[in-house]
Amino acid sequence: MAKAGFDFEELLARVENDRELLRDLLLVFKEEFPLHHEALREAVTRGDAKRVAEEAHSLKGMLSNLSAHESAKAAARLELLARSGESSDFGQLFAEFDRVTSGLLPELEFCLVEESR
Amino acid sequence: MRILIADDEAMSRRLLQKTLERVGYDVIAVEDGRRAADELCKPEGPKLALLDWVMPELDGPGVCREVRKRKEQSYVYMLLLTAKESKEDVVAGLESGADDYLTKPFDPEELKARLRTGIRILDLEDRLIEARENMRFQATHDALTSLWNRGVILELLERELTRSHREGKSTALLLADLDHFKQVNDTYGHLAGDEVLKETARRLLSSVRSYDFVGRYGGEEFLVVLNNCDPAFSLTRAEEIRKAIARQPVPTSGGAIPATMSIGLLISQEWGYRPMEELLHEADSALYAAKGAGRNCVKVARPKGPVKDCNFTEADAIRLRR
Repeated sequence: MAKAGFDFEELLARVENDRELLRDLLLVFKEEFPLHHEALREAVTRGDAKRVAEEAHSLKGMLSNLSAHESAKAAARLELLARSGESSDFGQLFAEFDRVTSGLLPELEFCLVEESR
Repeated sequence: MRILIADDEAMSRRLLQKTLERVGYDVIAVEDGRRAADELCKPEGPKLALLDWVMPELDGPGVCREVRKRKEQSYVYMLLLTAKESKEDVVAGLESGADDYLTKPFDPEELKARLRTGIRILDLEDRLIEARENMRFQATHDALTSLWNRGVILELLERELTRSHREGKSTALLLADLDHFKQVNDTYGHLAGDEVLKETARRLLSSVRSYDFVGRYGGEEFLVVLNNCDPAFSLTRAEEIRKAIARQPVPTSGGAIPATMSIGLLISQEWGYRPMEELLHEADSALYAAKGAGRNCVKVARPKGPVKDCNFTEADAIRLRR
């Protein structure tokens, strides 16, 4: 298994070693993450703090469930900032979020292939 | 055990659902707080709920507040799932009516343990309700026959007399007494006597309609209230009840015991509106007449002279009840 931006051991414990469920979750993430990511990008561009908070919250939940801790923290920072009503640093925090999550999908793809063997 | 999961995030929902189904929960999963509140407020809705804090339509604490507004329905044990960890958030969640909270991402063992706590509380509530219902039954029913007790059957009679007068209908009142019951006790013993009383109660109940009332008035005396009973058929109904008792001897541990009843019948419409006590006295006189006529028969209490209402009114009846 490749070293991923998420804690695979913790994730496996969370699904109680249910490989089928693990695969299900990875597939859901693969489908949902790009949609929320794109929605977050648009909200950041518009400076829409309410929407940034909602999308960052959803992403934080997904990434936490996946034990992608660094990525979840980056989403949490964006959510916190948006809920404070401050939008000046959206761009910087979103860039940071982009950076830590950029490797996730390829890593998950690899995991899916590994799991299907 | 049925449990409701409310989470707008698909991965969380899937994870929770599978984790709980694996240990035998029957899971209902919804995507927003509005649907969660609707499900939980149904009379037969789930009694255990896992609610995400942040959700569209209605958030987790909002669901808790809505569910707690209901007063009469069963308790719902609600656990909030939250990424919020500050003391203020926790206090706000619990103040909204949540029983417990769990921070996300959850640990499966901790989740299951906390739900078991909820189930213990729900079990306790079930036992308390059962105890309350038993006490309620004991307070309103006769311990031997399970018929309405004297206090309740009199209340029901008074209510029906008032209602039938108001609606221009008639109530038939039957005071029924087992014949020679003292001899039954003396000959066969009190245990067999009790069995005769229980069987008599059963036969009385099976010979009236579901909306009539049967109560134990005293030792071997029963009061039957036939609601909205056509005066022309009241005597026939009373005769049917008498025959239902006399038809077959009662099988008891002391052998088969013949049982008959004498019945005093009063048809309320023939008497106008009078105090219940007066009507009961008249029915008792008719019962006495039935005993005097050889027992195992029905005698009807008839008013002397033309029927007219006395000055007694519904307001008087209400005053008397107080």
